[in-house]
Amino acid sequence: MKATRDWFGESLADLAAEHEDIVVVNCDLASATKTAAFRARFPHRFFEVGIAEANAVGVAAGLAQEGFRPFVASFGHFLTGKYLEIFQSVGLNDAGVVLVGTHAGLAIGKDGPTQMGLRDVALMRTLPNVEILHPVDGVETREMMRHVVGHRRPTYLRLCRQPQREVHDPRHRFVPGAPDVLHAGRDVVVFSMGGTVGVVLDALDTLAARGITPTVVNVSSLPVDAAALGDIVDAHRRVFVIEDHYVRGGLADEVARIVLDRGHRVAFRAWGVPDYGQAGDPRDLYARYRLDRDGVVHHLTSFADADLATAPR
Amino acid sequence: MQPSISYATPEPPPDDRLSHRRESPLPTRLARTGQLADRSRAAVLEMIYRAGSGHVGSSLSCVDIISVLRFDQMNWSATRSRSESDVFILSKGHAAPAWYASLMVGGDLGPEEVGTLRQIDSRLQGHPDRTRLDLVDLSTGALGQGLSVAVGRAQAKRLRGRGDFVYCLAGDGELQEGQIWEAVTVAGARRLANVVLVVDHNGSQNDGLLSEIMPLAGLAERFRAFEWHVQDVNGHSHLSLMDALANARDNQAQPSVVIARTRKGHLGPGRIALNGSHSATLTTEEYESAMRYLEGRRDESHP
Repeated sequence: MKATRDWFGESLADLAAEHEDIVVVNCDLASATKTAAFRARFPHRFFEVGIAEANAVGVAAGLAQEGFRPFVASFGHFLTGKYLEIFQSVGLNDAGVVLVGTHAGLAIGKDGPTQMGLRDVALMRTLPNVEILHPVDGVETREMMRHVVGHRRPTYLRLCRQPQREVHDPRHRFVPGAPDVLHAGRDVVVFSMGGTVGVVLDALDTLAARGITPTVVNVSSLPVDAAALGDIVDAHRRVFVIEDHYVRGGLADEVARIVLDRGHRVAFRAWGVPDYGQAGDPRDLYARYRLDRDGVVHHLTSFADADLATAPR
Repeated sequence: MQPSISYATPEPPPDDRLSHRRESPLPTRLARTGQLADRSRAAVLEMIYRAGSGHVGSSLSCVDIISVLRFDQMNWSATRSRSESDVFILSKGHAAPAWYASLMVGGDLGPEEVGTLRQIDSRLQGHPDRTRLDLVDLSTGALGQGLSVAVGRAQAKRLRGRGDFVYCLAGDGELQEGQIWEAVTVAGARRLANVVLVVDHNGSQNDGLLSEIMPLAGLAERFRAFEWHVQDVNGHSHLSLMDALANARDNQAQPSVVIARTRKGHLGPGRIALNGSHSATLTTEEYESAMRYLEGRRDESHP
C-alpha cells in the first residue's frame, strides 16, 4: 500500500522523460508533495519559488501560456487558499496548469486544521473550466497522470497522504467523468472519492452480515457524467455520499444537484467533516468524525433502518 | 457627438517593431509615437464616454507608456504566437481601455468595437479577459498577479532559448499587493533579464493619494535590494521611455524596472482630464473639451 502522492511523484518523473513540456513549480515542499524525484532527474525544468503559493500559481500560468504543462504542487489547503489567483491567472486565462493539492482530508492529523485540505474540492468546483481528479489508488493515479499530460485544460489533482489499498486491476482504464462502480449492490448506493472509497470497501463484509449490500461508486473526477450517475441512482432507493472533506460544497453537493435535477425519488444522506477539523492522530480523527469503517457501518445501518415514508418525495 | 479626431490609423504600422526601431531616425519615431498616443487617448475617451463607466484617469496615465511599448519598442504582433514574440501584460487591468485603444490605433481591433466597451457579450470587457479577446496576453483585473505570470513566461522563454522580452505594466498602488514582491524576489534571484516591469507611478489610487493611503517609500532602493536594474523616468516623455526600455534590454544580467512618473488623466502638457480622478465618469462637456484639446494638439504638435 502506498499513498497516491507517492504514485504521483513516480508517474510524474517517468512521464517527464517522454513529455519534455512537463515542468514543476515548487513551493518548498518537494519532499512532501513527492516532486523531489522529478527535481533529481530534470533539475532544469524544476522552478523553485519558495514559500509563495500565489506567485507559484501565476508563474505556472505563465509557463502554461508559453506551451509548457506545469505542475504546481503544494498542500491542497495552501494551494486552493490562493483561490483568487487560481480564478484569474489560471481559470480566466484558461491556462493549462495542473494544480496538485496534496494532504487531502484529515489524514495530516496532528498538524491540525491549518494544514488540512478539507474545502479544496468546494473551491475548485466553482471554476467552470477546471477538471478535478482525485484518484483512489496507484493504478488510477498512473492512469490519471497519463490523461493529464495528454490535454491542456486547467486541472486540480487531489492527492492523499495516507497509504491506500489498491482497488483496481492493473488493466483498469480511467475515463474522465465516468462514475466508477467498484461493487454492485442493491437498495443503497454509496458515492465517494479518494481515500474514503477504500474505507467503504473495507466495511462491506460487516455490512453484509447485517444484510446491507451497498453499491460502491468511486467518483474520481468532476464534473461527473450526470446521465451516467443518474442511471446508477435510478436503480437504488437510497443515496449516500461520504467524503473526507467539508460536508458543504464537495462531492455531496455535486451528487445532490444531479439527483435533484433529475427528479429522482430517493432518500439522500451525506456525511463529511461538519466543522473546521482538529489536530490528532489520523486514526483517532477518522473515528471521531465517523469517517472510518465503523462510521460507514453506522451511517449505512441507520440509513437502512430509516423509514423511507419520511423521505422527501 | 461624433469624435472630431480619428483614432483609426490610415496606414497600419509596420508589423516588425524591431526593424522599425533599427531603421527609422529618432525624430520620425518620436513624431509617430506622439501621434499614435494622441489617437489612443481619443479612443480611450470615446470608449469610456460611450460606456458611461471606466477608469479614465488610470487609462490616460499609461497611454504614453503603452504607445511607446506597442508602437516602437515591443516585438509584438497580433498574428504571431506569443511564444515567438514579446509579451505584454497589463497587470493594472482597470486600464484596459488604454490597451484596447492601442489595438484600434494599430489596426488590430476594428474601430466599430469602440462603442462596445463594458457592454454585454463584448470582447472589450471592463478588465482584460483573454477568454473573450485573445489580443490581450493575460486576463487581469484583480491586482498584483501580472508580474508572477510575467516571471513564468520569462522562465519559459529562457528554457526555450528565446530572446523575447516580457513587459509587465503595473500601477504604483498595485505594488501594495504582496504577491508583486514574491514575483520581484524570484525574478531578481533567478536573474530573469528578459522581464521588464514598468510602474505607472501616477501617485494616486482608488481612495486618494498614494502618499496618504500607503506610501511606497524608497521604491527604487527596494527594487535594487532585490537585485533589479532600476530607472526612474518621466512617463510622458517618449524619448525618456525609449531610452529606458532600450537600457533595460541591454542589461543582460538583471530584470529591469522602469519607474515611470505620470499623471492621472494626462492628455498633454499641462492638461489633465477629470482632475486626475481614478474612476469618475466623463460628462459630455468634459468629453467634448478633451477631444477638442486633442484635436488642437494634432494641428500644433504633429503636422
